[in-house]
Amino acid sequence: MNLPNYFLADLPPEAPLSPEMIAAACHTLKRNREKFLRPRPTEEIIKILCEVAAEWLSPENKFRKLALKYGPAETGFSKPVLEKGLDGFFRRFTPENFRTLLEQELGHAARLDGFVGGAMARGPQLLVHIAAGNLPNPAIISLALGLITRSAQFMKCASGTSLLPRLFAHSIYELDRKLGACLEIAEWRGGDAELEGALFAETDCVTATGGDEALTAIRSRLPSQVRFLGYGHRVSFGFIAREVLRDDTIAEIVAGAVDDVVAWDQNGCLSPHVFYVEERGAVESDKFAALLAAELAKRETVEPRGKISVAAAASIASKRAIYEAIAVHRADAKIWASQNSTAWTVVFEHDVRFQFSCLNRFVFIKPVPDMAAVLRGVDEFQGKVSTVGIAASPEATASLALIFSRWGATRICSLGQMQNPPLTWRHDGRPALGDLIEWTDFEL
Amino acid sequence: MNKELSSFAVRLSELIAVGFQNESFGSLALELFTLQFQNNSAYRKICEARGLTPQVVEHWTQIPVVPTGAFKELELTSLALDGRTTVFHSSGTTEQKPSRHFHSAESMAVYEVSLWNWFKQNIFENSEIGIQNPEWLVLTPSAEQVPHSSLVHMFETICKKSGGVRAPASRSTFFGKVGVDGAWILDFEAVLTALSDNSKLKTQNSKLILGTAFSFVHLLDYLAEKNCSFQLPLGSCVMETGGYKNRSRSLPKTELHALITKHLGVPLESIICEYGMSELSSQAYEREVRSQNSEIRSFQFPPWAKVQIISPETGREVTEGETGLIRVFDLANTFSVAAVQTEDLGIRRGDGFELIGRAQLAEPRGCSLMTA
Repeated sequence: MNLPNYFLADLPPEAPLSPEMIAAACHTLKRNREKFLRPRPTEEIIKILCEVAAEWLSPENKFRKLALKYGPAETGFSKPVLEKGLDGFFRRFTPENFRTLLEQELGHAARLDGFVGGAMARGPQLLVHIAAGNLPNPAIISLALGLITRSAQFMKCASGTSLLPRLFAHSIYELDRKLGACLEIAEWRGGDAELEGALFAETDCVTATGGDEALTAIRSRLPSQVRFLGYGHRVSFGFIAREVLRDDTIAEIVAGAVDDVVAWDQNGCLSPHVFYVEERGAVESDKFAALLAAELAKRETVEPRGKISVAAAASIASKRAIYEAIAVHRADAKIWASQNSTAWTVVFEHDVRFQFSCLNRFVFIKPVPDMAAVLRGVDEFQGKVSTVGIAASPEATASLALIFSRWGATRICSLGQMQNPPLTWRHDGRPALGDLIEWTDFEL
Repeated sequence: MNKELSSFAVRLSELIAVGFQNESFGSLALELFTLQFQNNSAYRKICEARGLTPQVVEHWTQIPVVPTGAFKELELTSLALDGRTTVFHSSGTTEQKPSRHFHSAESMAVYEVSLWNWFKQNIFENSEIGIQNPEWLVLTPSAEQVPHSSLVHMFETICKKSGGVRAPASRSTFFGKVGVDGAWILDFEAVLTALSDNSKLKTQNSKLILGTAFSFVHLLDYLAEKNCSFQLPLGSCVMETGGYKNRSRSLPKTELHALITKHLGVPLESIICEYGMSELSSQAYEREVRSQNSEIRSFQFPPWAKVQIISPETGREVTEGETGLIRVFDLANTFSVAAVQTEDLGIRRGDGFELIGRAQLAEPRGCSLMTA
């Protein structure tokens, strides 16, 4: 790929990392932060982030080209899926959006630069991110927020997943070397006690995404003064109300639902496992499922699903086989699936209980008599639900939002936007920027 | 009871007993498919939905398969309600809805002939082990305690058929118990007594220890804790089967076998792995086979059960060395469904496979599940 060796992740795979290298990298990061990052005004950082994003949106940008060239093999997402995902993401990098975020989380956009109304915010000295998975958005947004809080940052990626964060860090470096010198990207298999011990000894704040067990393990190994922000496993689902299941609206509803399934091949925690569809609409729930299947087939030709592992394909094939057998015997169960591939699957069944999908574009459609049935179906997952994507009339949407919010869902959005959260999104219900900073109150 | 199926069962049992000829598999499979299509209504519906009827199926590889998971949902049997004398359930204590494989006296007879003959060939007639008149230690509960376990029924059957001898100081050959939560546990003290049984005698009997992988882990952990090791006599043999099902920590196979050698003194070549499940009536044993000019270890079903490794992506058979889902056509499943699609992954090795295991619930590659 011929990227210069700026980051540990740029080293050839045969070059082993040592705890000393990690410690030395952390010391350099902290020194660079003092010199190059801490004195910079917020406005300037935001300007750079927006410029970098604008470059990523340009078809000629070299980092974008590299991401699209090497991404499919490295991340498992097809080029069109990567393209669409990255574009949607970087378009949100605007000065207005960042200002709104700062105002939302800090009460005033200038509070990282000085006292405003007796309060000033300050980011960690060295912020460590334990990033998981191939989905680049959470990693990149973490780096952006860390820069805004003027923190030196060390991002540890899961093995085989550093490509996109690394390209993003290079793009920062190219635009502003001093800023880039405050970032480090490395990749190793999680749980390496020596490397992680060296890293955790240098940090004052750690963010981590991962399964509950992985998070507990990380937390247990942190020195007590280190702040820990863990983002655990979350699931999402959609709800489509009867009043929008009409002939004149159905195409739009189906397209939105398919957008949510196709985005990042359904691999994020904001991706829907299940769509609950209210019965007795002008378009019935099984018709909706059939239309969804047809649209998924169409999308496959322009935004194909990426290559998946044999194990992932096996779990799709196994689940499909069971539902195919059931569908033969029960009139109220149906399945639609791509031929000669596992590219997409739609299962229609009456059981309202929330089901984990095997993802990679495998979605359940569950008809429900009403909203109360949805709450019964997802009951077991209270506190574990990230996003509820809703398609309903404006009046109904407001009351549905209230119900889901009281129930504990942390994000409610329009169908079609589930994988497209705004910059102001509170990650798993927590202020993403606000949780990074510490305050100084000035009371004189 | 359907006469044609019954006579097929009798014929198959006879063929197995005299040494089943590979060549007869294809025609028998097609014959059985026709009978199962006629007599097993749940299966017939699946075949019809796929447009695969006896009129169009020309080769055994075209016979419609049912997934093991369908045994949970459907009654995949040719046996009438009043003919079902036994039902085997899939293992796992947490499963709300287990697989159900129904049996009658006739189908049980086929099961027993099948399991006994292949066990015999792989254990008793295995010259590498050289086992003779062993004492039996079975690390599962007895069939009386777990009547729905096809594995335990298998152990009981081979024990009976071989005239299984128990260790002198033991009351039984079965050393497992059912715990309060339904999980299988071991009577450690009794195993210890049986193992150390006649160690003072000059001539010791060899031992045959049968159990699940998790029961061996329980035993080995116990022996390690007690700082206890045995050197079982020459000709002793261990047969381990099944996954861990979250009933113990999981160990890579090489590690488990090394620990068995360390604590029981049974050499690696006398540790035999078995692969079976309640939805099948034949089992595969791991053995050294020659493939493409090299010796490899591979699981082999008996000649009356054929295996294919299927690409989950395309549904087609994979090529040598590739990974896919294990599919078995088991003639001994005479009264249920012969063509079974498992959820286990294997690597195609010759006409057998190297076992990888249960296709794990695929974890999302996205933001939230994977920090490895």
